[in-house]
Amino acid sequence: MKTIIKAAAGLLMGAVFAAPVFADVKTKVALVPGGPHPYFAAWEKAGADAMKDFQLGAADYKVPAKWELAQQSQLLESLLTQGYNSFLIFPGDAVGTTSVAQELVDNGANVIATAGCLKDPSPALFCLGTDTGNSAYLGAKELIRAMGGKGRIAHFTGFLVDPNTQLRIDAVQKAADETNGAVKVVQVIADIDAPQPAEEKINAYLAANANNIDGIITTAWVPAVVAANSLRKIGDKRIKMVGIDHDEVVIKAIDDGFVDGTMLQNPYGQGYVGSYVLDKIRSGCKLKADAPWKSNALTTKFVDSGTVFADAKAAPTYVNAMVGITKDLKDKFDKDFLACP
Amino acid sequence: MAQPFALGPTARLFDNDWIGPCIVSLIAILAISWFQPAFLSSFNIFVLSSAIAVNMVIALGQLVIIGIGQMNLALGSIGGLVAISFVGVMEKFGIPVPIALAFALGIGVLMGMASGYIIARTMISAFIITLAGLQIFKGINLGITQAQPFYGVPDGVKAFGQASVLGPLPWLLVPMLLASAGVWYMFNRLRIGRHILALGANPHAAELSGIDPKVTIIWAHAVSGLLAATAGVMLVAKLQIGQPTIGDDWLITSFAAPVIGGAVLSGGRVSVGGTFFGVVIIAVITQALVIFNIDPFAVQIVLGALILWAVGINRLREVRIAKLQSMGAKT
Repeated sequence: MKTIIKAAAGLLMGAVFAAPVFADVKTKVALVPGGPHPYFAAWEKAGADAMKDFQLGAADYKVPAKWELAQQSQLLESLLTQGYNSFLIFPGDAVGTTSVAQELVDNGANVIATAGCLKDPSPALFCLGTDTGNSAYLGAKELIRAMGGKGRIAHFTGFLVDPNTQLRIDAVQKAADETNGAVKVVQVIADIDAPQPAEEKINAYLAANANNIDGIITTAWVPAVVAANSLRKIGDKRIKMVGIDHDEVVIKAIDDGFVDGTMLQNPYGQGYVGSYVLDKIRSGCKLKADAPWKSNALTTKFVDSGTVFADAKAAPTYVNAMVGITKDLKDKFDKDFLACP
Repeated sequence: MAQPFALGPTARLFDNDWIGPCIVSLIAILAISWFQPAFLSSFNIFVLSSAIAVNMVIALGQLVIIGIGQMNLALGSIGGLVAISFVGVMEKFGIPVPIALAFALGIGVLMGMASGYIIARTMISAFIITLAGLQIFKGINLGITQAQPFYGVPDGVKAFGQASVLGPLPWLLVPMLLASAGVWYMFNRLRIGRHILALGANPHAAELSGIDPKVTIIWAHAVSGLLAATAGVMLVAKLQIGQPTIGDDWLITSFAAPVIGGAVLSGGRVSVGGTFFGVVIIAVITQALVIFNIDPFAVQIVLGALILWAVGINRLREVRIAKLQSMGAKT
């Protein structure tokens, strides 16, 4: 009896641990953000569309319960044992996620760092995300234009642990510096990409300083929503604001004239095109050695997933803008990055 | 024979748990408004009061559990699940606000009772059970929402979160006052409140005196769940959105405010007034860091250090009173 139990247990263990090695030949993509956040919600539809359009075995959106590196790592290991062989990962930590990414790659999976980069050297094929610095810079330029080229700016941004945050702070400062002192960034409020702290800190700031600023730029999702609501509550259209992303609160505030525009990112395109590229790599395509990689502070293999400014005219049709960016991104991979047999 | 030590009126005043945090709060408010007069503007009083109202109800939810010498790590995940359930049933099923509210509060009570029941039945540490609860409730939350907010908050609920009841004072203060009065009444006038404190102070003695620890633990967790649910609903009204991440950042405030207010983490001693001023201190410090443009990378350090300082002041007061009592007992 004991022998039978041991044999059964052995078979079970073998089945579990062999799963990644003898996985289904079809590409099974897991799209894993660092934690729950509305920015990544578009990944779910992107995965579903990619699965249908490219006949993938799966392209599932899997969210860790919290923004904790350990939780994300455990989820990734669990997905590997479930037979997923391709991963789009937002790194919970630019360095800390490297070890689990290496584990995935050692077991035959492919990894693309998505929406955020791993620090070189890393086992990821490349990093696909918004050029956050450039997006913040362009957004700041739009804000400065709306302010008439002079005034004082407050910058509300995201998690301090996110390496993109410092890039955004620097980019907004750079845009202000280019005005030769006509525009000043008078305050940066960070670590507020969660509703409650964002609400408390942004409102506290506006209560004390609304009369002392001329513009607001937000470079994270939740602060954009909260700042748009705050300006609506105060009823202040004198203060110009450029937000980020496509939350319906921000889009509505643009329609109503409380916000001047938003820097759209392309999370849908990241999930859709990322899944496509992973499938191509599994089917034998290689990344061209002379592909036009960009560089950022973390990696020399960066691909910009696209960003575009949407003002009151463009906001109602922002979905079309994102579809257009996604199509361009896929074409760019086919033409410049992939070498297929 | 030593006479029982009698405190004078001043010493009696300083014997209250809330007096230390109250003094610190007043000093902080006066200092900040000296440097930044807009701190006492109508809008800022509204903003500050709204933050205090929600955080007080969160802190009360933890205070009840601290009273029995336990901790509730699931407080935020209960609040988050209640928040998305409250908005979700209204948005998806068109359920009227009062029924959705009753449903949401009921979920909070049930989740609290479930935690309490498992703790009472198994006598496994509340830390472990509520840690498991945190994961389970958060998992359900994310399973329902896929990390996507619910936007269908009715105008009446939004108005409640944004309107003033008197001058610059927000409507949100009303549920806070009701919750505070309710918890104070429970601890000071109701048998269950005294049972909670007795169980927290000395479980063995409480059991010998006829207190049923199982019933007391389940009650405490049910009340905590109700308060977490109330805070979740208040936040929906305040934020005007059913965000799945509501509750993620409650843990530090929920412990810091009661401890600043003189609560003993091992149980048996709590203060509703002290907790209120603990909440005020945290809210004022948070605002001051924004108003005085503290480097964002230093904010966490400054906040931690100031909380430590406030707790230190309270502890110093306790030591001085104990010393005075000891001296009195020797005379």
